[in-house]
Amino acid sequence: MRNASDPTSDSTSDPTSDSTSDPTSDPTVRTDAGSRGRAVLLAKGIGLLVLAAAVLSFPSLAPDAFILSVGVVIMSYAVLATSWNFVGGFTGYISLGHAAYSGLGAYATALLVIHTSLNPWVAMLLGGLLVAALAVPIGIASLRVRGASFVIVSIAMVLILLLVFQSWGEVTGGSNGLRVPRPFDESVLRPEQHERFFYLHVALLAVALLTWWAIDRSRFGTGLKAIREDEDKAQSLGVPTFNYKLVAFIVSAFFTALGGGMYALWFGFLDPIFQFSILVGSYMVLMSLLGGIRSLFGPLLGAVIVGYAVEFFKNQYGDTQFHLVAMGLLLGIVVLFMPDGIIPALSSLINRFSPQAASIREVSAGELAEQRRAAASEGKDLDATEAEPTDSLPEGAKR
Amino acid sequence: MTESAGSTATDTRIGLATEGLTKRYGGVTAVDGASVQFHHGKVNALIGPNGSGKTTFFNCVTGMIKPDSGRATYLGDDITGKASHRIARAGIGRSFQLCRIFPRMTVMENMLVAVRSTSLRHVLAPSRSAGELDRARELLARVGIDHLENSEARDISYGQQKLLELAGVLMADPETIMLDEPAGGVNPALIDRIASLVRDLNAEGKTFLIVEHNMELVMSLSDHVVVFDRGRQICEGPPSVVQNDPRVLEAYLGI
Amino acid sequence: MSLFFQSVVLGVLLGGLYALLAAGLTLYFGVMRVVMIAHSAFLILSAYLAWWFTTETGLDPLLSLVVTVPLFFVAGVLMQRLLISRLRPATLTMMSVLLTFSVALVIEGMLGFVFSGTQRRIRLPYSGDSLELFGANIAVVKLIAFGLAAVSLGALFLILKKTQFGQALRATIQHPDAARLIGINTDRIAGYGFGLGLATAAIGGTALALDSTIYPSLHWHWIGPLMAIIVVGGLGSIPGAAIAAMLLGLGQSLLQIPLGTTWAQTIFYLALFATLMVRPQGFFGGRLAQRF
Repeated sequence: MRNASDPTSDSTSDPTSDSTSDPTSDPTVRTDAGSRGRAVLLAKGIGLLVLAAAVLSFPSLAPDAFILSVGVVIMSYAVLATSWNFVGGFTGYISLGHAAYSGLGAYATALLVIHTSLNPWVAMLLGGLLVAALAVPIGIASLRVRGASFVIVSIAMVLILLLVFQSWGEVTGGSNGLRVPRPFDESVLRPEQHERFFYLHVALLAVALLTWWAIDRSRFGTGLKAIREDEDKAQSLGVPTFNYKLVAFIVSAFFTALGGGMYALWFGFLDPIFQFSILVGSYMVLMSLLGGIRSLFGPLLGAVIVGYAVEFFKNQYGDTQFHLVAMGLLLGIVVLFMPDGIIPALSSLINRFSPQAASIREVSAGELAEQRRAAASEGKDLDATEAEPTDSLPEGAKR
Repeated sequence: MTESAGSTATDTRIGLATEGLTKRYGGVTAVDGASVQFHHGKVNALIGPNGSGKTTFFNCVTGMIKPDSGRATYLGDDITGKASHRIARAGIGRSFQLCRIFPRMTVMENMLVAVRSTSLRHVLAPSRSAGELDRARELLARVGIDHLENSEARDISYGQQKLLELAGVLMADPETIMLDEPAGGVNPALIDRIASLVRDLNAEGKTFLIVEHNMELVMSLSDHVVVFDRGRQICEGPPSVVQNDPRVLEAYLGI
Repeated sequence: MSLFFQSVVLGVLLGGLYALLAAGLTLYFGVMRVVMIAHSAFLILSAYLAWWFTTETGLDPLLSLVVTVPLFFVAGVLMQRLLISRLRPATLTMMSVLLTFSVALVIEGMLGFVFSGTQRRIRLPYSGDSLELFGANIAVVKLIAFGLAAVSLGALFLILKKTQFGQALRATIQHPDAARLIGINTDRIAGYGFGLGLATAAIGGTALALDSTIYPSLHWHWIGPLMAIIVVGGLGSIPGAAIAAMLLGLGQSLLQIPLGTTWAQTIFYLALFATLMVRPQGFFGGRLAQRF
């Protein structure tokens, strides 16, 4: 509609689009899309309610204390994966060493509780803030250069902290571990403890998700996503890329540390080898990637799947080398075959079956665009046929 | 300045300028002491044979790469070696050769990336505010792709992507717009549309700096032409003068 | 004083091995911008193969190189062709990290599965022998390991400098687009580059097996220092990596006297952070990278 009334566009010979075959330029489709938008919103609202109800009713449905504790572990993973996704999902910078921040948060909380008379929850918050402060220099060092250094520093952080926490025995308890006093006294029984911590983790998760959502729809979030797609281009549009990445990284470290701190208070015992573990860091990556790093609930979904699988295997077969292999294979498969995760795959499946589906024509147009870019990046000159309407492209794409 | 298609004044104000700008890659000197002045408020063109350092010059001026020596100024302010987001906010927007858009964001999201202010309130505000959306739709309509608002940018045609890139740059409201081969790889009808957009925007006061190989377009569109060869300016002036300069022919024919 | 001298010699010997392994890592990064996390996992795999070869046949572990070097070269080429090249160029660096990381996990897991988590060590007739060198006491196996590393590094240098393949490889590292324009098949070169990189891991692993106790998760102790080395040396520069390896190996060895082995390792990470803060492009990359 806007198109027709626009003086700059010549409706008879629009050079960029074949207006007769384009469904979105048809006014009737537009209003359809409007009502469909409302329906989607409603479906989303209902989905959210169902999800919340399912999560909140879990403790009362869990048959025994063990299953309940698995639930706590999964929620803890969900907090960590969602926190990881602040940097991984928005900016596309993959950190394999986020266990460094959960581990630091756990130890900071534990040491504050042990050595000061702080309330454990205040200690946890303070621990999170301390880790966030530490993330500033780490972020400055690793985010100035693109990509590779960030990954290298992320791995180095876990390895160095493992070294330090194992060796610095008089403070951290070293390899003997560190016992963390419980926030609830002994009269609260085991299942009751699990139940409380389940809800506490859910609350923390909700805060993290809300923050992610708020960033996602802000200008800041748009800038971060632009960095993920093309960092140079984003910067040329005025996005202060380094500052944006740094802030996202600090927020991520903060929530990861809170997740670690809460885990410490629940589990009550810390061992460097499990806290500063590359494996824990890679769980966060796998969970987020599997669920979908571009989706709000992707990491949560991934945490439920991977967390359940991990606990199941541990329970059935114990801690064997086999689960390293399984973990490696699963990560490799996800990276190679479904780097976008389950949620985008599902939503495109749903789109395919709905009547307003993104048609096959559009999908192939996208692929053609990709091929053209690949051809272009090989330094070949683009000829004029490339700007023809997408329907007539296959000739050009055969090259 | 002899010919002037500009709508306002006939006097020449220097906008973007460089002095002895140099960039080397290993043994190759891509930009070799280039001293260039572009006219503010006009349509400037930068032409030259392939490999004459035009794109490298572009990248040095817009902060994508750091020059080895020399100076770049914009309206008298030193912008040498500044980060590209600072240069963008100083009022210089740019497009890229071969067109760079954010492929996995929607057309509308592409429009909302441009940053005009770094105040915390601006940054943390929802990016889809009514004002922003209206502005974006207006610009999309202006380049003629507003019906594609919700498509993913990778799904639209190459010509549409070029228009989207231009519209996205306009969202930042730059005074000066640098276009790297705006007519590269697009069909004649679209070239006409881009040319008329440039003319209209220039009439509204935007300065243009265009790197282009399509001579017909350059000569019809620009007020001021700078010719590059081997990383430095060999000639400048209005199109009619440059066209007949023997040095230009020499550079292109490689005599 | 002799303790100091001993540390210097040990540092140089260790630095040689680091240099060889870091050269491999640099090759992957150079040809494909890939941070190859599995490098040290292959190192340990090769060490296990050497150990297994010796315990099964009773022959010298150095002989296992005849099999492992070609095997690893082929594995490298296949890994590049079948796995790495499938990734989208836009996200190559990040996704390749995950992919090679998952390979590392699989190797570690399989080693644990097949050989169990028990610590292993090769017993050789000359294991306990050592040489007196200006008052320093140097184990023969360490000298052999260093010799192996030095010879391999020299060979690698000659391949890169003198052969046509080496020229193509260097061109691919420095400017892949230009290399493609002058007719170099950069995909194939990248595959061979990967193969060469893994071959260094095969040699390094055998050298490691001579005088170290090995266990499946040992590779994590190697990947951190190696990563630090290639950043300090300037990503993509082989001479830079070699110099950084020597300096940091020496530093680690010297710091072991006052601080002990664990804390001495932190020198790698301190150097890594210092480099990124002061000179993110690395210390020896710039000028040398162009000459190489």
